[in-house]
Amino acid sequence: MLIDIQNLVKDYQMDSVDVAALRGINLQVQKNEFVAIMGPSGSGKSTLMNILGCLDNPTSGVYRFNNTDVTGLNDDELSDIRNKHIGFIFQSFNLLKRMSALENVELPLMYAGIDKAKRMAMSKQALEKVGLADRMKHRPSELSGGQRQRVAIARALVNNPGMILADEPTGALDTTSSMEIMDVFKQLHTEGNTIIVITHEREIAACCKRIILIRDGLITSDTPNLN
Amino acid sequence: MQQIRDNITKAILSLIDHKFRSFLTILGIIFGTASVIAMISIGEGTKKQAIAKYQDLGVSNIIIRDKDMTDAELQTVRMKFSKGLSVEDAKVISDVVPGVVSVSPQSEMKMEAKVGDRSAKASVIGVTPNIVSILNYRTAKGDFLTTDQYDRQLKVCVLGASIARELFSYDEPVGKSVKVEDQWFEVIGVMQPKALFTETVGELASRDLNNDIYIPLSTFNKRIPKVNPFTSDVKQLTVKLGNSEQLLPAAVVVRSLLNRRHFNNDDFSIIVPYELMKQEEKETRIYNLLLLSIAAISLVVGGIGIMNIMLASVLERTQEIGIRRAVGGKKKHIMSQFVTEAVVLSVAGGIIGVILGVTLSLVISWTTAVQTTITLYSILMAFSFSVIVGITFGYLPAKQAANLRPIESIRHE
Repeated sequence: MLIDIQNLVKDYQMDSVDVAALRGINLQVQKNEFVAIMGPSGSGKSTLMNILGCLDNPTSGVYRFNNTDVTGLNDDELSDIRNKHIGFIFQSFNLLKRMSALENVELPLMYAGIDKAKRMAMSKQALEKVGLADRMKHRPSELSGGQRQRVAIARALVNNPGMILADEPTGALDTTSSMEIMDVFKQLHTEGNTIIVITHEREIAACCKRIILIRDGLITSDTPNLN
Repeated sequence: MQQIRDNITKAILSLIDHKFRSFLTILGIIFGTASVIAMISIGEGTKKQAIAKYQDLGVSNIIIRDKDMTDAELQTVRMKFSKGLSVEDAKVISDVVPGVVSVSPQSEMKMEAKVGDRSAKASVIGVTPNIVSILNYRTAKGDFLTTDQYDRQLKVCVLGASIARELFSYDEPVGKSVKVEDQWFEVIGVMQPKALFTETVGELASRDLNNDIYIPLSTFNKRIPKVNPFTSDVKQLTVKLGNSEQLLPAAVVVRSLLNRRHFNNDDFSIIVPYELMKQEEKETRIYNLLLLSIAAISLVVGGIGIMNIMLASVLERTQEIGIRRAVGGKKKHIMSQFVTEAVVLSVAGGIIGVILGVTLSLVISWTTAVQTTITLYSILMAFSFSVIVGITFGYLPAKQAANLRPIESIRHE
């Protein structure tokens, strides 16, 4: 089991009032699943994604990732997990502006302590995989939205993380680019990756194999997508 | 190692991306480093000049001067049995005072020297041949006075560098004759140029040694008539000791010895150049320390400049920090990235500052009367201090960057 969440609660303090973002989530995800998490804004789906991605700690509950309880890990250990096992994709791409596509993709490898030559080779391979072999030297500002998101995907999968977490990956893209990105995800899924997509768009969720609905910090439905 | 090299490359690229801002950031460090180097160079130069001055007088010498007195004073002193400084005094000091290597008596008089239709005012100095070893005198051409010439009271002379030039222009002086007042002297040598000493040392009035004409003391006493019959035979005794530790005890002995021989007339003064040098060194040290602390303060101000800009840079790059953290960058990675930038900045500032400081010192040397001496230690000190300042003031912004929470910073626009 890749993800095993038991009774997960996350409270935020806002103006000295506790706001419950997650109110007892139970969720299991197996390896090589393709999951969509849907919900209106404020439902807690982004909070869930932060915790799934080891960017944030829950207030209470258990989160086992790869059979390891990550709730008790310190900052360095969480960084290691993000680095080696999780690939992030964000709505706003979050590429480093002053770096080329290739350098952006190299970033996780740099923190993994891999040497320059190997980094280059792995990054090139990842960019080829997302169809950007001819754009490696370009800076993000010289790329279209769809291309930028593909650079971000290359960065997410360059370390062979096993799990890709995508937070509204098509939120800033037009329909054609969105479908292209989803095609890349489908491809990655058939290659054995676990993919979790957070979205509020039905068309995007429709591409996934399992759809989870969240409302007011609770999972209200969890159904396989048979299409 | 790989990590460090990557960091440095990244830091340089990032700073080049903001050339103007980076330059403004390190301006303080540049001026701080440059002023530290310039201050130390001026200090060292002044010290060296002072030391050169005392070295001309000999750091293991005691100088005894006959006091300048009015005719009336002189008469009083003679009535009280003192003959003033004499060649006998020299002999007694040489025989009695422990540690004395040699003693050279000398007489002096300002006189008019002539060659053809050229003439110049010169200090005619009657010396004993051993003055050469006492004061490190060297001739540029010909030879200095010999014992033989001294014993035979010959009318020979050695010219100082400037007086030789004035009297002979570019002609060869050795072998020619100079007329001093109404006496002819054969030139047997020309001295090497001496450092000018333009300040009074103790009770020793400043004198341009390059304007001296040296003749044997024996000849001086025989040929040059005294203006006042009461004038002492000898104007100065230069006493050379084996080493500088013997100076003070020897000076005490010399004083009591001469007091006895001069019947406590207090008609001479004793100058110990080494002691004066030590004292001046002490004074300049305080002055240098003051200059240096001003320069150091400017470096610290430069460091605060770095900190300000780095803090602004952390704020501006919050999202970048968030992204780096999300893909697995640890706190220490972020920390070292920002510290490296601060270090690269301050190293660059240090290097430019060193170049500027050295240039400044040279320009000061060329364009003003102030002598500067650039020392390696000043360069190393200024440079390492600027780097330390960079690290110190880069630490706080780096710490702040590392402690940003990844989820918040990644959404920061």
